[in-house]
Amino acid sequence: MTVMDRRKVLGLGGALAAGVALAPGLHLIAAPQAPDGASAGRRWGMLIDVTKCSSGCTACIDACRKENNVPLFNNPQRDIHWIRKVELQDKAGRKPAVSLPVLCNHCENPPCVHVCPTEASFIRKDGVVLVDMHRCIGCRYCMIACPYKARSLVYHPTSLPKNGNPDVPIRGKGVVEKCTFCVHRLDAGRPPACVEACPGAMLFGDLNDPGSPIAKRLKEVPTQVIRADLGLKPQVHYQGL
Amino acid sequence: MISKFTAIEGRSPGYFALLGLFGLLLALGAAAFLYVELQGHGVTNMTNQVIWGLPHIFAISLLVMASGALNLASMSTVFGAYHYKQFGRFSAFLAIALLSGGLAVLVLDLGRPDRMLLTMIHMNFSSMFTWNVFLYSGFLILCFLYLWSMFQHEKFTKIAGSAAFAWRLILTTGTGSIFGVIHAREVFHSAITAPTFIAVSLTSGTAVSVLLLLGVFRATGREFDQKLVQGLRNTLIFFTLLVLYLLIVEKFTKSYSPAFYEVESWILTGPYAWLYWGGVVGAGVLLPLAILFNRSLGNSPSGVVAASVVSIVGEFAFVSHVLLAGQSYPFNMFPGYRMSSPFLDGQTASYVPSFPEFFLGMGGVAIAALIFLVGIRFFRLLPEKAEAPESWHPWNP
Repeated sequence: MTVMDRRKVLGLGGALAAGVALAPGLHLIAAPQAPDGASAGRRWGMLIDVTKCSSGCTACIDACRKENNVPLFNNPQRDIHWIRKVELQDKAGRKPAVSLPVLCNHCENPPCVHVCPTEASFIRKDGVVLVDMHRCIGCRYCMIACPYKARSLVYHPTSLPKNGNPDVPIRGKGVVEKCTFCVHRLDAGRPPACVEACPGAMLFGDLNDPGSPIAKRLKEVPTQVIRADLGLKPQVHYQGL
Repeated sequence: MISKFTAIEGRSPGYFALLGLFGLLLALGAAAFLYVELQGHGVTNMTNQVIWGLPHIFAISLLVMASGALNLASMSTVFGAYHYKQFGRFSAFLAIALLSGGLAVLVLDLGRPDRMLLTMIHMNFSSMFTWNVFLYSGFLILCFLYLWSMFQHEKFTKIAGSAAFAWRLILTTGTGSIFGVIHAREVFHSAITAPTFIAVSLTSGTAVSVLLLLGVFRATGREFDQKLVQGLRNTLIFFTLLVLYLLIVEKFTKSYSPAFYEVESWILTGPYAWLYWGGVVGAGVLLPLAILFNRSLGNSPSGVVAASVVSIVGEFAFVSHVLLAGQSYPFNMFPGYRMSSPFLDGQTASYVPSFPEFFLGMGGVAIAALIFLVGIRFFRLLPEKAEAPESWHPWNP
């Protein structure tokens, strides 16, 4: 190989690097248009009355698993949780232990959406935070960024369970999934499955509608959100915490 | 005055043994990638608590080191330390090799690496990852331009070298900011995380350059001026002290605030304290300084090589600590409360890497090593003799 040839190799290397750098600016494939089914006037939210949530009850979790075909792998470190029950014990021991469900908070300023490099995580006009499973590259940065530990990577191949819900497609291995507020039900005018399974402790509705039961209750009773200090404006509120 | 640049002969059994070794590691890395790709990340030991495991540690260590590998070139082009000009080509080429290895592991550890092109089609400019796609590819271009100018058009070397220098500072800031900007993770959320990444890149990049330079010169029987060894030692001392300074400032700042007492005491005394004290502080700072400040060891090539090895271990430990401790520390969703759940809330996560993860990471090291080995064989990257000006007398501690 002559010296000139080697220089050409270096030049080609540089050209390749330039191609890789310029490629991000090119749109080779038209992005699919998202269906515009959500209304910007709505803002879906949830209120959970912790005083009515009993420690042993898992009705919301069971309903969610069934509705959304959320798999269990019999491995606590890998199991997928769209909603989970958390037991809280005051460190000072002054308050009684409480049990409450934790799920994606569908934040107004969602860090998962901010960090997603491909915009696979996105926020709908009505405030529901979703993951486009066809665009997720499985980088897991959203899982690093979410303070609610609301996301799970699909570690193993999955298949539709025997009595699974055909309305909700299963997610393949290698992508990240999370609670969708049962968006397929919302679009059909029904509440999320967890709320339907637990009408006593969970209230769901349009926060922008002053006449909705949830908006009224939020005005009437003191409520909290998890990690309000982070400024994410979560849309899951807790009463009695 | 720089003696003539030449490629190495590359016909010795040792050279072919190294090619064979790294070729084997590359094959194992490729096999590990295919295994994980086909079976899913379930065959690794990553979990929904420790989401980024050993492959990310390898990838980020290589990327951080790549940025620092440009030190020797920058020192001559940007800061006028012309006795390092003879290592400029080597330095820029090494940066390209390390960056390629790191990027390969980063991409191949994606849950869906087949969708990698989507990062170039759908970009989210609020994501540090998107910025890093530009920063890494831009760094590659600038390193190639820098090399091209050093080989053929010296008049452009200053501008190409200065651009590459500025770019690598931004690049490592970007890498550190992947972690630093994440408010949810108390262990690594800090404005000082990115500067510390830069300081660690300076030490590890210099260390890997020292190792490879002294190794190649020794293996090929080329002369290496003792004064240059001392100069490199001094560079390593300076950068290591910078790391120490930033570590102290971070601990001082956080320990001042009661809000951080819990997480800081966990870092210093918890399950990853051994990695912090032994790896980040011991291997990353104290041991190299002890060797380099020693009158006898600090003046011998083998002493500087030993300090460089320990520095690289320290860099690996630093990245490991950021990732593993950062992810293992439980989320503090309800301050003042103890949490428990079937999703292991409130518990410190455990993680022991699997073999596929190790080999995937080593595959990246092999890519970097093979590019470097082939590069010094086919390109005139190194001087026949590494000389220092007679008038230059490096500081001696």
